[in-house]
Amino acid sequence: MGEIVFKNICKSFGDTKVIENLDLTIKDGEFTVLVGASGCGKTTLLRMIAGIGPATSGELYIDGEEVTDIPPGKRGIAMVFQNYAIYPTMTVRGNIEFGLKNKKIPKSERDRLIADAAEVVGLTPYLNRMPSQLSGGQRQRVALARAMVKTPSVFLLDEPLSNLDAKLRVAMRTELIELHHRLKTTFVYVTHDQTEAMSMADTIILMDGGKIQQMAAPEVIYNDPNNIFTAQFIGTPPMNVHKMRDDVNYIGYRPEKIQIFRDKPTDCTYVRKVKVITREMLGSETLYKLQILSDAENEKEPIMSKSLDMSFAVDEEVYIGVPKEDLYYFDANKMRIRETDMLERLYCTTEGDK
Amino acid sequence: MTQYKKPNVKVLKAKKMASSFISTILKLGVCIMFAFPFFWMISTSFKTYAESLQFPPTLWPEDFTLQAYITVFEKLELGSYLMNSIILVVANTALMVVIMVPAAYVFAKYEFKGKDFMFSILMVAFMVPTCLTFISIFRMFAHANMLNSLWPQILPCICNAYGIFLLRQNFMQIPEELIESARLDEANEWQIITKIMLPMAKSTMATIIFLSVTGTWNSYFWPLVMTISDEYRPLTIAIEKLKGLESGLVWPNVMAGNLVLLLPVIVVFLFASKKIIASMAYRGVK
Amino acid sequence: MKKKVNILRKLFPYVMVIPTMILLAVFVFYPLVNMVYLSFFDYNLIKEKTFCGLDNYYRIFFIQTDFRDAFLNTLIYMAGTTFFLLFLGLVFALWLQRDSKFNAIAQRLMFFPNICAGLAISLIFQWLMDDEGLFNMVLGFFDIAPLRWLNDSTTSLLSVMIVAIWKGIGYYALILLSSVKSIPTELIEAADLDDAGKIRTFFKITLPMLSPQLFFLLITLTINSFKVFDSVRLMTGGGPGNSSDVLVYWIYRYSMEYNKYGLACAGGTVLLVILLILTVVYFRVIGKKVHYQ
Repeated sequence: MGEIVFKNICKSFGDTKVIENLDLTIKDGEFTVLVGASGCGKTTLLRMIAGIGPATSGELYIDGEEVTDIPPGKRGIAMVFQNYAIYPTMTVRGNIEFGLKNKKIPKSERDRLIADAAEVVGLTPYLNRMPSQLSGGQRQRVALARAMVKTPSVFLLDEPLSNLDAKLRVAMRTELIELHHRLKTTFVYVTHDQTEAMSMADTIILMDGGKIQQMAAPEVIYNDPNNIFTAQFIGTPPMNVHKMRDDVNYIGYRPEKIQIFRDKPTDCTYVRKVKVITREMLGSETLYKLQILSDAENEKEPIMSKSLDMSFAVDEEVYIGVPKEDLYYFDANKMRIRETDMLERLYCTTEGDK
Repeated sequence: MTQYKKPNVKVLKAKKMASSFISTILKLGVCIMFAFPFFWMISTSFKTYAESLQFPPTLWPEDFTLQAYITVFEKLELGSYLMNSIILVVANTALMVVIMVPAAYVFAKYEFKGKDFMFSILMVAFMVPTCLTFISIFRMFAHANMLNSLWPQILPCICNAYGIFLLRQNFMQIPEELIESARLDEANEWQIITKIMLPMAKSTMATIIFLSVTGTWNSYFWPLVMTISDEYRPLTIAIEKLKGLESGLVWPNVMAGNLVLLLPVIVVFLFASKKIIASMAYRGVK
Repeated sequence: MKKKVNILRKLFPYVMVIPTMILLAVFVFYPLVNMVYLSFFDYNLIKEKTFCGLDNYYRIFFIQTDFRDAFLNTLIYMAGTTFFLLFLGLVFALWLQRDSKFNAIAQRLMFFPNICAGLAISLIFQWLMDDEGLFNMVLGFFDIAPLRWLNDSTTSLLSVMIVAIWKGIGYYALILLSSVKSIPTELIEAADLDDAGKIRTFFKITLPMLSPQLFFLLITLTINSFKVFDSVRLMTGGGPGNSSDVLVYWIYRYSMEYNKYGLACAGGTVLLVILLILTVVYFRVIGKKVHYQ
């Protein structure tokens, strides 16, 4: 019902090209998250789907139909804005009802739809309030209810949780996942927060500089990144990456895959002697900032490590090791190299003897 | 450490009391200074001609009479002038709104070629006073044979450049998302203006309408130069005529007419002075 | 079909502004251009109009002394009203700045004349300043010789100015009051803690903080005082002699009463040039004001 296809889409604001020759298919019924730093073009894509920021050139299909010339209201989509865009002069009911009225839906039908939507998001007692009398979370729900009643085939959400406090944000995350299960329509969700993306998405589309860096399920994007950008964007703290000895390629490993030892380990491929610089307790885990004790120019940058063992002290000198399967290699263009035998030998054996 | 001379608290207190007493007296004087002329107008309007010139003057008419009011309404037929004034206020304000709102909306929320140029033209027009344009406009209406109608007092007055500017400023503060959201809700432009924009610009609209209504009601120069017969003249011109209604200047008559002219303004001000003052202060500081 | 919709969408903003633009063209810009054009013609409604070059300007500046009188009177009026409105406005603003009931009432009474018709105020004061009016009766009560206020060439312009100040003061006090209130109280409190004294605080903090607003009002007032008409026509008719004649009233007389359109338009063009210069200054100031924030 709600498959979205971008074909050769370009978008420029004045002279600046934001998106160039983009092809993309967003699958029907999936929860797709567009994630990337601000200015990467993710909101631009969302606004194209909505029809409120049309593409400069290219074609856009929703549900197999070319929609370039169809006005926003007629595309069968609903959108939740970052600041909710709730009409401040209308009551909660008026806000939800506005779109239905414009669709000329009869009064009795309207009342039923509003009651249903209000029930789902828990707004029933607040229907006659003005938006100014609502809390941030309640306003968020108004925006959701307003989108829901239109029974859209595509549901667009533009950073809808960014204005909520941390606790509420986590709660709303779960609610949105449930809502998606209930409605079973296409959700396109824009965020800059990779945690949000990882926790909610069926498919993540990671964007940078107007280009898609990788599009895959969360576990794939985490375990099998296509390039350094993806590897470092997803996961906190980001993947440790430094240049290899050959000065052409890169090696990377995730902080949580680093094992720390007091004695030099024997079963790890990548082993370095390090000194603990700082130590942050996170509760279940501990975050260490480590300095590799080496003269090599390419290993001067401190690395981050996340460990369950909290016993290492600042200034202590220890060993770290990373197993072979947790090492990632990238070429000079920062793209992933998946055939790694030769590189491993090149890098690790010479090091291991030191 | 610096040595502070300890002030004498008693002296300070006495000084403070004295100055606040003087200040209160002076304020009372100011109130009288600004209220008295209006009181004197009301008082005079109920006096007989003789009493109005009597020395020493009476503060409130001893010989209370409505004669002045009867004279003005009968001899001058104030009613028809009053009707003209009301028609002008309603027509000018309504037409002004109809022309202003769409313009303010697109100036605030649309991008189109020539927008900046048109907007600067608007700002220049806002600075052009009517005392420079009336000669040509009068000739235009004379050529068009329209001087025997109310049009010369309506058409040139309904494009409110300042109003468009104020409203545009207000519209610009309304977030873009609200309009986009309304578009997604299948609202057309008319609905966006009436259901979203205007409800959010209520106080600005009230200010502009208030200024337009009082401006039209109070206007003297424009009707003076744009009319050639009494049939189309508003109340202000009629009040001026009261000076020559009878032989010699009969001040009670003039003051009675004056009160008729001021009464609506007084009533509005009594009920909404707080809002009026707040909006004027805001407007001035901006 | 689709193209048609697109064109309509593109045209929409133009359709919305076109009534405004037409009205401006017909009732603002054409009349202005026409006035400047007519100022080069010897033109009244009876004779055929004939081109006369700068003759009209020569006449109003060097032959027709009443234009010079009107011009000078306007300058005097401008200087007097502007100074007193700003000065007294500031005095009242500082005096009434505390929030109290009494102050609020005083403020409202002062403001009220502002929304009244200039005509009504003029007539009330004409009555008060009448030879047999209350002002003279009060003077007579104290055995002071009556003044002829509006009917004496030495006091007529002054009387008109007094009325203008009385009518306008509430508005300027109000605006200055809200600017005074917008000065952060911490500044004044800090000065208090430094034992700065009221007068020092005023000159070192309040006045500098108000200066952009004051300058802005100064320009507005200057422009507005060139437009004075109602009070002059109603209270003095420019007289006695030309003692209280002003520019706009002069233009009005030469056009509507004497039918000397060419001369009137030349006078109007002079006024236009003055206003143009002031307007440029005005926009410069606005530009600066925005820059401050």
